[in-house]
Amino acid sequence: MAPSLRGGTLAGTEAPHVAVARLGRFERLPWRRIILVVLGIVVGGVVVLGTLRTLGLDRVEGGYSGGAWRDFIVQGAAQGAIFAMIALGYSLVYGILRMINFAHGEVFMAGAFGSFFFADAYAKSGFLNRSPLLALAIVTLVAVAVSVGTAVLLERLAYRPLRNAPRLVPLITAIGATLFLQNAFRGFFGPQPYGYPKPTVLAGNITVLGVQIQRTQLLVLVVAVICMIVLQWFVATTRTGRSMRAVAQDREIASLMGINVDRVIVVTFAIGGVLAGIAGVLFSLSFEQVQFTMGFRPGIAAFTAAVLGGIGSIGGAALGGFVIGLLQAVGPPLILTGFGIPSVFSLKDAFVFLVLVLVLVFRPGGLLGTGEAEKV
Amino acid sequence: MAARRWVRTGAFAGIVTIFLALVGLIGGFTDVFLIGDEVTFAGLMLLLPAFVAGFVAAAPRIEGGERREMSLGEAAVAAAVAAASAGFVFALAVLFTDLIGDERIRPIFLNVSPSLMEFVAFGQSTVVGAVILVALSTMAGVLGGVLRAAPPVIRRPVTAAVVVTVLFGFLQRVIPIALDQLSLERDWLYHPIHDGLTWVGAAVVAAISAGISLLNTRFGARVRGSLSSSIGGRSGLAMSPVRLIASVAAVALLIAAPLLLGSVISEVLGTVMVFALLGIGLNIVVGYAGLLDLGYVFFFALGAYSLALLTGATLNVYGVPPDPAISGDLNFYIAIPIVMLIAAAAGLLVGAPVLRLRGDYLALVTLGLGEMVTVLVGSPWLVPLVGGPSGMRGITDAAIGGFAFRDPQRFYYLALAFVALAAFLSWRLATSRIGRAWTAMREDEQTADAMGISTTRFKLLAFAIGGAIGSLGGALFAVKIGSLTPASFQVIVSIQVLGLVILGGLGSIPGVLVGALVLVGLPGLLREFEEYRFLAYGAAVVAVMVLRPQGLVPNVRRSRELQEEERAQDEWAKAVEEGETPGELGPPAEVTT
Amino acid sequence: MSDPARSPSADAVLEVRGLEKHFGGLYALSGLDMEVRRGEIVSVIGPNGAGKSTLFNVITGIYEPDAGDIRYQGSTIVGLRPHQVVKLGIARTFQSVRLFANMTILENAMVGQHCRSKGGVFGSIVRTPGVRAEEDRIRQRAEEALSFFGKRLSGYRLEQPAFSLSYANRRRLEMARAMATDPQVLLLDEPTAGMNPRETLELRDHIVRMRDELGLTVVVIEHDMRVVKGVSDRVIACDYGQKIAEGTYEEVANDERVIEAYLGTKAAG
Ligand SMILES: Nc1ncnc2c1ncn2[C@@H]1O[C@H](COP(=O)(O)OP(=O)(O)O)[C@@H](O)[C@H]1O
Ligand SMILES: [Mg+2]
Repeated sequence: MAPSLRGGTLAGTEAPHVAVARLGRFERLPWRRIILVVLGIVVGGVVVLGTLRTLGLDRVEGGYSGGAWRDFIVQGAAQGAIFAMIALGYSLVYGILRMINFAHGEVFMAGAFGSFFFADAYAKSGFLNRSPLLALAIVTLVAVAVSVGTAVLLERLAYRPLRNAPRLVPLITAIGATLFLQNAFRGFFGPQPYGYPKPTVLAGNITVLGVQIQRTQLLVLVVAVICMIVLQWFVATTRTGRSMRAVAQDREIASLMGINVDRVIVVTFAIGGVLAGIAGVLFSLSFEQVQFTMGFRPGIAAFTAAVLGGIGSIGGAALGGFVIGLLQAVGPPLILTGFGIPSVFSLKDAFVFLVLVLVLVFRPGGLLGTGEAEKV
Repeated sequence: MAARRWVRTGAFAGIVTIFLALVGLIGGFTDVFLIGDEVTFAGLMLLLPAFVAGFVAAAPRIEGGERREMSLGEAAVAAAVAAASAGFVFALAVLFTDLIGDERIRPIFLNVSPSLMEFVAFGQSTVVGAVILVALSTMAGVLGGVLRAAPPVIRRPVTAAVVVTVLFGFLQRVIPIALDQLSLERDWLYHPIHDGLTWVGAAVVAAISAGISLLNTRFGARVRGSLSSSIGGRSGLAMSPVRLIASVAAVALLIAAPLLLGSVISEVLGTVMVFALLGIGLNIVVGYAGLLDLGYVFFFALGAYSLALLTGATLNVYGVPPDPAISGDLNFYIAIPIVMLIAAAAGLLVGAPVLRLRGDYLALVTLGLGEMVTVLVGSPWLVPLVGGPSGMRGITDAAIGGFAFRDPQRFYYLALAFVALAAFLSWRLATSRIGRAWTAMREDEQTADAMGISTTRFKLLAFAIGGAIGSLGGALFAVKIGSLTPASFQVIVSIQVLGLVILGGLGSIPGVLVGALVLVGLPGLLREFEEYRFLAYGAAVVAVMVLRPQGLVPNVRRSRELQEEERAQDEWAKAVEEGETPGELGPPAEVTT
Repeated sequence: MSDPARSPSADAVLEVRGLEKHFGGLYALSGLDMEVRRGEIVSVIGPNGAGKSTLFNVITGIYEPDAGDIRYQGSTIVGLRPHQVVKLGIARTFQSVRLFANMTILENAMVGQHCRSKGGVFGSIVRTPGVRAEEDRIRQRAEEALSFFGKRLSGYRLEQPAFSLSYANRRRLEMARAMATDPQVLLLDEPTAGMNPRETLELRDHIVRMRDELGLTVVVIEHDMRVVKGVSDRVIACDYGQKIAEGTYEEVANDERVIEAYLGTKAAG
């Protein structure tokens, strides 16, 4: 007789191996849910308590006026518009490759840095103030070219060889690429920040619909909205856009249908680059400074935005960007001031990271997305 | 057709050379001598891309499903074409710069320095310099190509000789000190004036390393065979004698290093050990359990600051009372277990809500947590606890009965002891039921769950143990430095540790040591390269992932996993098509014989 | 042979009532009822997409049901995690074989014993005698489970990585791994898919042996009617996430709705 499992060693009897196990009450509790609920209550409680206490403060105690809140909101929206544009790059690539292009923040940095030298030259020659529109157009084109170049090179050299690797491999590669790009720019141009020139027409405020808003912020909002509309149109109606959607659905089938998948992927990276380049110029005009480290935190904020909105979705990325911008601008003063924490704005970035953690814990599918069950 | 490929390879190498020049790796190093008066680091950087281009162009090709080696002649031609293209592209860039005027490019690209321009012109006019450049590149490339096409019995020793000799060139601040300590003559090996190897020294080093490498090739197998029988080793010894000797030598070196190398270098080696400790901890999380943790700095900071608080360090802030809001007065050795417990608990607390996330999301959550720590320790809010931007000072020196460990040489041994301990723990875990559960989970999480492994529990376990070891690294770091500032706890620490674990080979403990030596030790020993270390890190991580996912010292299983997945899938597909292969039921030939 | 009538509680070891599972608008399971008695072999048949694999996934806790109850030995197992379900004694294989490809064959089977062992961190580091003994036992148990399939998975093969196996052997290893969890109920999802006729017949005998020699209760999803006929104590036919027929092989095979489900409206529509 072939060796069977009969007469096993567990019980040492003739009985076959049949384990008798019981789960205790304790083990049957849905632990994850309990943890989430507790965490949710704690977070919710802190938010509500902080908000109430902040709003209860008057000016002398460090409270804010209505005007201050309005400024925070406008500022947050403008910042959010930039996040949204970067977030689109993450989202598009994710939609197609299911891969987090962690280095996208550096694509943004590259564009901003690349355009600086043109902007600087134009400022010195006076061209920037003489015909700001043309000058900014050229500067933006340069930024776009540099960003697109960086993004496409990244795809070609770092990601393409790994297209079928386990999911974490391209992510690790992207982290390496981030480090490499940052330090390459540091090597090229040095570690110091450069002051980014701003044409005089963009200085000062303007009143729109009764709200005072900085001209730069207005520009940022307008350009961002236009970009998003164009992108939406592009993806929805053009042939390339349709190919992109097809590849996002199923790469293999798309390729069987005669779509050049490599090309579509390159185009996707390029579009992400275009948006990152434009965002780079807008960001530089807003903060009037470029430095090799400038891409990292906006990159993470934008990634958070993309996840918040539901990564892979264009509308989601746009929405997420604005939400993150607003949260970052309004959240710290609104929630933290009430607890008497000094200089709340220094915790702005920590706030974004906290939002990232909470979003991924509570709604990994994003605000618009649904939780997806993986097929077995 | 082929020629176009060679040219493309070469042109890419040319662009790489331009890149190296622009980041300053050529112009800034014209006076760093590696061998004699001739071979400088700048020269190496200038010609290395062409050499590699030649090497790559001469690589065997898969044609019609068959691997075709190039003959020496073909290889030389291919390599020459590639390398000449590389030289040509770079020469064009030089000519272009000269045409515009390097002083007009310098305000943008800071490294287009006069010394660079002079160096790439070889002291001639630019045009003559360009010709020399192309010629030298071609020669370097042909060398590479011929080396690639040569049979292994030549290729391996020559490669070993070149690599080791260059390494000795790099270690020009390290090896001479050891020779001095041992009262050995050094001037024959290293140049007395400019520190590089002498030609005689280089020749000796090259010959020795070629010889050792030869022993390791098939040619050396016979020699080895007689060697091992004369040593009286059991047959079926797990390691080849060469590896055994190398391992023993490595351990001896690890123990003797600070005595040989003096306090300046021991200082660097102490840092290497701290990072090795971090690497061992992160390796448990990433290498064993397969969880990509980008926020490892969290545990590093936690360890450092909680040790500081527990052992009575003071705030570094003027104007406020020096004692932090929480302060203990414990001995280092009592505090350490508490620190590790705190870290393990923090790992559980942080991990519990996030560990069910998919791998890439988990990576970003941990990154976020790490960044939050960075922001928090530096924020004005926590000044009363951890001193905010100016940090803490007066951290314990871990003395045992008056024998303090602050001194670099002594610290090294303290760190080495902890590294050995952590390595032992890690190894024991990896080869147990727990390690098996981690491996299964890493291979296929859902299936592991369906086979009875509580993935949440084992993820948490990895997180907690990894966190405890990371906090140990932080605590040692605090002892080493004696004071803490938030600048030491940036996200880059996480990435550095990840980088060394990956470079060494995920899942491999010796790999962690090698990774730490290469990525932390080398840049620390060569101060000039300090500002390029992260560039090198980034490049290394990308290169390892793209070219050699198993790392330098692969863990056997991990390398199988990364390398052979594809092959396995092919085989599987084939098997499905053909049904079970007839020969499959019997044992393979080599087992029966 | 099995002895289903020994006690009332032994009657239904696994009981599924009104089980629902929706994916978006798709009702993969819509009100499925079934029960499995101790020591019998039940075949689940039905056209592709009928929800058979989903049934297994819900039973083993990989998916949570949207409605309905699953009772195992009298108490509900809804809401348990997969590893808890295994621990209680329900092991499974997957339709698309899912091995730990880079672990050795022995290690794959040893993973099966994981839920029957408890060596912890301290024991693993210190290698206490208890942990060593346990490790030996795990290994022995795994080797036993592997030897159920004869020489195919044992001997020199033990140390080979799972990816080196042929397709049929992968399926066998997956079953051995499930058997190494010491289950009472074994769920096999299309165990003969991709096997040639000889291997299929051989596996048919193995399934019968699982019941007769090991006393296992087996639920098998199967398309090959020779296997279904050869092993089943009872057959359950599903379509559109519901049970459409139940009984002996002959009864089910001649049921009109079953014939229709296989041949009729579905293919046309
Ligand atoms: N994770 C999932 N997400 C969406 N649809 C699913 C998922 N799993 C199964 N389905 C769908 O449920 C239906 C039943 O599938 P399944 O149970 O695999 O059928 P089968 O009877 O062939 O095993 C199919 O239409 C399948 O596409
Ligand atoms: Mg199925």
